[in-house]
Amino acid sequence: MTLFTKSLCSACQEIQKDFDLKTLGVEVEELGPDNPDALAHLAWHELVEIAEKSLPILVLNDLSAIADTDAIKNYLAERITRH
Amino acid sequence: MGNLLEFSHVGHEGSGDRAGTEKPTREVTDIALGTLVRRSEEVLDSWDRQKIVDALVRETFVDQDTAEAISLEVEEMILVSRISMVTAPLIRELVDAKLIERGLEQARRMHTRLGVPLYDVEQMIVQPNKENANVPHGPEATNLTLAESIKKEYGLLNVFSPEVGDAHMRGDIHLHDLGFIDRPYCSGQSLEYLKKFGLNLPNSLAMAKPAKHAEVLLAHMVKFAAALQGNFAGAIGWDAVNLFFAPYLEGLDDRAVEQLAQMMIFEFSQQAVARGGQAIFTDVNLYWEVPKHFEDVPAIGPGGSYTGKTYAEYEKEAQRFVWKLFEVYKKGDGAGRPFFFPKPLVHITEKFFKTPGHQAFLNHICDVASDKGNTYFVFDRGETAKISECCRLSFKLERSDLEDAKQPWKMRYCALQNVTLNLPRLAYRAKGDDTQLFAKIGELIEITIKAHRQKREFITRLVSHKSSGPLSLLNMNLDGSPYLRMHRCTYLIGMVGMNELIQYHTGEEMHGSAEAMKFGLKVIAYMKLLADQCSRKYNMRFVLEQTPAESTAYRFAKLDLKYFPKESSSVVKGDQSAGEIYYTNSTLFNVGASMNPVERVKLEGRFHPLIEAGALTHVWLGESKPPAESLANFVVKTFQRTKNDQIAFSPEFTTCKGCGKISRGLREACPWCGSEDVDGITRITGYFTRVSSWNRGKLGELKDRYRNQGHFTRPLTPERSDGGRVGR
Ligand SMILES: [Zn+2]
Repeated sequence: MTLFTKSLCSACQEIQKDFDLKTLGVEVEELGPDNPDALAHLAWHELVEIAEKSLPILVLNDLSAIADTDAIKNYLAERITRH
Repeated sequence: MGNLLEFSHVGHEGSGDRAGTEKPTREVTDIALGTLVRRSEEVLDSWDRQKIVDALVRETFVDQDTAEAISLEVEEMILVSRISMVTAPLIRELVDAKLIERGLEQARRMHTRLGVPLYDVEQMIVQPNKENANVPHGPEATNLTLAESIKKEYGLLNVFSPEVGDAHMRGDIHLHDLGFIDRPYCSGQSLEYLKKFGLNLPNSLAMAKPAKHAEVLLAHMVKFAAALQGNFAGAIGWDAVNLFFAPYLEGLDDRAVEQLAQMMIFEFSQQAVARGGQAIFTDVNLYWEVPKHFEDVPAIGPGGSYTGKTYAEYEKEAQRFVWKLFEVYKKGDGAGRPFFFPKPLVHITEKFFKTPGHQAFLNHICDVASDKGNTYFVFDRGETAKISECCRLSFKLERSDLEDAKQPWKMRYCALQNVTLNLPRLAYRAKGDDTQLFAKIGELIEITIKAHRQKREFITRLVSHKSSGPLSLLNMNLDGSPYLRMHRCTYLIGMVGMNELIQYHTGEEMHGSAEAMKFGLKVIAYMKLLADQCSRKYNMRFVLEQTPAESTAYRFAKLDLKYFPKESSSVVKGDQSAGEIYYTNSTLFNVGASMNPVERVKLEGRFHPLIEAGALTHVWLGESKPPAESLANFVVKTFQRTKNDQIAFSPEFTTCKGCGKISRGLREACPWCGSEDVDGITRITGYFTRVSSWNRGKLGELKDRYRNQGHFTRPLTPERSDGGRVGR
């Protein structure tokens, strides 16, 4: 799974603080002017326009994406309880 | 004025005013020197050594004594040589040789004579120019080509720094439309400007008040487009044409609306009598729905007055008109051939699918797409609104633009210049090293930004002469700001040969693997981030664009085979032995790759959100004529399931010069009369044209194009969202 974030995004920071993303198998990609890899990755998943409006975005292993912060939190919380 | 002017001591006539240059006008050296000096007996008629001195002092920073010395040496050379006819170019070259001897390089540059060799002029007059298939061959076209060749040199020497000029000459970059150096690149406008202010052009003998009737509005539109063509290098686009005509159509019966639709299309398609015999590259943007940003805008009607209604209330009239326009496209011209211009760009917004009648309309325009190919499908997903003005150039309207939408006459946009990067060459230079490659991309973008800043400086200078300057039309100020809104200009950064960059750098073409394509996305992402960074730094809008590259894809391939033969010969596309060579356009997949169109549209579309100024996927139909419903289905899925910005379907035709009939597919002979005097018609890049006018690179590409002959005739199978072969 990949979590797309950007700096100075409070929701992004919150999720990174609240969850042990590494253990959950989530890689974090921070979008920014010096990170073409993250932007290319975002484009590959066809999420460029969504990311312009809302971050963070969580891309799941089945390649579906969640762009709503609360939904991301719920999803991650659920994964913790399941494991 | 020709080059070989008769010499005249007194009247320094000819060449006209050089408005816009800061040097004294009229005193142009070649005229001052006299251009033709004949030897009779032992003396040179009309020879005046002082004119060499004057020219040197006026044009360069050479001091009087040096100028005197040079003039004496040149005079001596001419006398000793016993040449019977001394021309101004020769005198100038001799003077330049003396400047070189003295190491006065800068003076030599400033003293350069721009001109065209006799042989080249002969070629231009007799042979067609194939750089742009939209330029027919004729005396007007020759004038255009001649003027362009001089302005090109002028631009390279006088507008751009040597670093930028050399990068262009070497083929690291391509500065588009150098021959139109003294104009911005392309523009998009609103009919509302004409509806509100009438046709009120500076330097025009007559001023026309706002139109009261639809045909008059059309006449204003056509005239204005022709005037704009004289002030822009490239495309002239018009926003929401059917919607803005709608208030004029109330009360007209269907026949009258049909007549108007015919007039519009024939007027723009028969403009091949304008500048250089070149049709005005016209785009008309059309909508079935009333786009959200115009819903509440007060409509302007006959006489330039508000009608008291909003545009939302003109939906039916706008729909009636756009339907009729496509009926005209469907019929084609008098011989049934597709119209080349104006290009219809149908915007599809989210609202389209909620607007009654959209399915029937979609089938209607898909019928035209299948039969004649004209329709462009532009996808404005989410809340985006776009205006398209060129082959694939479109602008997402930003917040400030949407503010303008309340006063739509303000909605006029311009791209000041287009500079394209030769991507494969960067890969040759990087020799497989990623760090090197990205560093070189950065360096080339830096040169590109310089080119844009230099062009901006030049145009700003021309514009500063206001109404007495060469760009007075763009300075006309009817609504409180000049027609050309410099602060809103865009500067385009194009690219050619992503596929070949990847192929050389990674060993695989872009359609070869997911990794190859991901690498391509990284290159584009890097370019976009750099462009964004420079935009902030210079307060200019730099955006990526998929260059149409009608001749650039050929030029780069040719130069790379020359300068990088070892590296390029393995990746240049086309028939190298026949010289029909090219690079793949922009970020497209290899045109010959046998990908199904669903996959191509999906995967090419992944680049599109990064290429802000517009992108397009071509679906080549060959001679097939798929059912309209099948294309409609494809269009809807493209909107819903991909990020693709724009698609067009391109059928191919053969037109017979013998019997005048048209047939489907590209053929050696006419199936009607058997004549072999035939020509092909299909899309070259972003427009239809005759194949006989294509450059060799494009001919090579045409042979390679993968035609989706069978795809649309089969029942559509649900496509895989990952886009098949390339995988994830
Ligand atoms: Zn025939």
